[in-house]
Amino acid sequence: MNVRAQISMVMNLDKCIGCHTCSVTCKNVWTNRPGAEYMWWNNVETRPGPGYPRQWENQDRYNGGWALDGGKLKLRIEIKKDYKPPGLDDYYEPWTYEYEVLFSEKQTDQQPVARPISLIDGQPMDVSYGPNWNDDLAGTDLLLEDPNLDPLQKSIYAQFKDVFMMYLPRICNHCLNPSCLAACPRKAIYKREEDGIVLVDQSRCRGYRYCVAACPYKKVYYNWKTGKSEKCILCYPRIEAGQPTVCSLTCVGKIRYMGVLLYDADKVLDVAAEPDPTRLVRRFIDEVLLDPFDPNIVSAARSAGIPDDWITAARRSPVYKMVKKWQVAFPLHPEFRTLPMVFYVPPLSPVVTTFERTYGAKITDVFPRVSELRIPIKYLASMFTAGDTALVEQALKKLIAVRIYERSKNVAEPGLADKAKQALAEAGLTEQDAEEMYRLFAIARYEDRFVIPTNPKRYVNQPQLKAGMAGLP
Amino acid sequence: MRRPELLFPGIALAVAVVLAALGIVVVTAQESAVLVKFVNGSLPVDPASPLWPKPADVPLTSQTLVYPLAPAVENRAVSVAAVHNGTHIAFLLTWKDATQDAAKPGGLDVFPDAVVVQFPVSRAQLPYICMGTVDNPVNIIYWRAGVGVENLVAGAGYGLSPQQREALGLQTTPTSPVELLPDSAQVVQAYAVYKDGAWYVVLIRPLGSVHPLMSSLADDFSAAFATWDGSKGERGGLKATSGWVQFRLERRIFAAPQPTQPAPTTMTATQTSATTVTQTYVVETTPAWAWVVIGVLVALLAVVAGLALRRR
Repeated sequence: MNVRAQISMVMNLDKCIGCHTCSVTCKNVWTNRPGAEYMWWNNVETRPGPGYPRQWENQDRYNGGWALDGGKLKLRIEIKKDYKPPGLDDYYEPWTYEYEVLFSEKQTDQQPVARPISLIDGQPMDVSYGPNWNDDLAGTDLLLEDPNLDPLQKSIYAQFKDVFMMYLPRICNHCLNPSCLAACPRKAIYKREEDGIVLVDQSRCRGYRYCVAACPYKKVYYNWKTGKSEKCILCYPRIEAGQPTVCSLTCVGKIRYMGVLLYDADKVLDVAAEPDPTRLVRRFIDEVLLDPFDPNIVSAARSAGIPDDWITAARRSPVYKMVKKWQVAFPLHPEFRTLPMVFYVPPLSPVVTTFERTYGAKITDVFPRVSELRIPIKYLASMFTAGDTALVEQALKKLIAVRIYERSKNVAEPGLADKAKQALAEAGLTEQDAEEMYRLFAIARYEDRFVIPTNPKRYVNQPQLKAGMAGLP
Repeated sequence: MRRPELLFPGIALAVAVVLAALGIVVVTAQESAVLVKFVNGSLPVDPASPLWPKPADVPLTSQTLVYPLAPAVENRAVSVAAVHNGTHIAFLLTWKDATQDAAKPGGLDVFPDAVVVQFPVSRAQLPYICMGTVDNPVNIIYWRAGVGVENLVAGAGYGLSPQQREALGLQTTPTSPVELLPDSAQVVQAYAVYKDGAWYVVLIRPLGSVHPLMSSLADDFSAAFATWDGSKGERGGLKATSGWVQFRLERRIFAAPQPTQPAPTTMTATQTSATTVTQTYVVETTPAWAWVVIGVLVALLAVVAGLALRRR
């Protein structure tokens, strides 16, 4: 066992209101620079939809991530021999508006118009695509480009348009098996040993863009001005000081949670090479992620040099609870085999609202048949569990059981207390679990949502770091 | 009685013979050199200028790469002509490329067409052809379409102490085996034209060196070349490289050419067929007879050792 610690994140999609505050604050802090105008280290997608860059999940188009080749992990760019990164058309041409006109225009009968101008060359342009173009019906036709919709769902969606929707905020997943890192021939990308943050060393990067092509989430971006690639840095200067990332801090819906996860680095490659993709998430949670309450794991963590305050933080970690303890949060597209360390609680609300008397209904009535749900569980499973619908179902059952339980405490409805007990039992939760989940999901305070130990720079005296090397070998 | 250790003297003898033979072979292989013609006054920046001599074709082979990069198999060529005027030297590099790929604002998927010329920094012996080694670095002129030209050093980085690196104007910690020389050494100019499916790139630099890690070309020198075809996604190690090519400077010719002097025409006869030198071209300065002596000595030692062992 080789225990490592990583700062990771959970996003509770139930609470995302799609306000894009995370994206905008991230941009203001990190990417309001020339060459980075088109980059959104954090972006929010309205799903179903093509996402940003367009159809990023379609690896037949972008060749990102890993695939098994004769049972062995191989980069898709290597298998396909296609190393082409996305072009500006695949993202979008960034623009602003010619606001100066509003001040300088002479008085006429018409109001002056601030026309869109390109942020690349400053010329007037027609805006025809954007980073979330399908949102608010701007590009409804594009909804059907979503790679997670199967043909049947597509035909239903084409008929009814608004059958379901959800928001999907995305950052770099700071994966345990990062394909961007593996693809870099310059070894410019490294995963920090102390907190697992994946970074691009700007002094080593030569702008070859293999990482851009190899990242299945398309979260490495090429800066055409500097000629180098860059990506989300998980706000590491803030993390080192024990503060949450900017996107987490400014999140209006308070959907984001950050904390320590302990994992077994020896298991990473074995699990990533699991032949059956639907087993990836289960094995990831069971074998790679570790229980910080297990004395054997704690002693292994100590001997691996993980400080006590990090182990304590791992026990208090909201991420640990949601991902490992209750198993209600899942990685995005585990079938890309990078073992992403940002997790999502699948959205429940749109499911619930389809049933008129949800709260009164027996939990077994709520989930009678997967095909009857408004957000098709298949869609969520395609996104978060590589198609394992049972995992998504059990997570949604837990979420709904907690709601029924909380309702039974506050609403005097005959028989509700029994229903709550039954729901909890069916979801496999105790009352204590339900209380804790309620606290964390509904009324968590800053210090509950963000349990981030400071970085004591414990590797600073290691000579190999002084020699200019860092990260995993 | 057969003893396995008796084999070793025999092997040593064989190696010695091969080594000696190699020494002779290497040194006796006489390559023709590309002549760097002398021009009076300013050097041509126009590829069509009549001042350029007939170019020599240098064959290029795609570099063999390892996972995760694609091993390319392609052979192409770059035509090289060079002139000097006593202070500066100009190279005209011409190669065919069906598509013009130049870096541009917002060009996220554009890989620029590029060319490099690589020179040994040291005159003692030719460096490792693949961008030098710590002991024996190379100086590289790197031109990229839409980006411009850089004067680089490769190989030196990790062999120098921080103090030495600071004195040389380099970043204290090396981040790459290939590094940009300091601003004071960015003395290369480039003029590029893309016409009729071919690049014409003129590179001009001083004949002498302005930095300890920049090559001096004031005497005869060697150079190697590489090109990148951006439309094929070539970048970094995905490129086609040449072996070392020798260049000979034409000596200054004064106003009245004298027939007694070696006529330039005789030299131009050799310049058209540049042959590349293989990487086994190890020691340039050791003469042939030294190799023979070394070989014989090694052979003698081997024989003596063998006899000693047998006596025991």
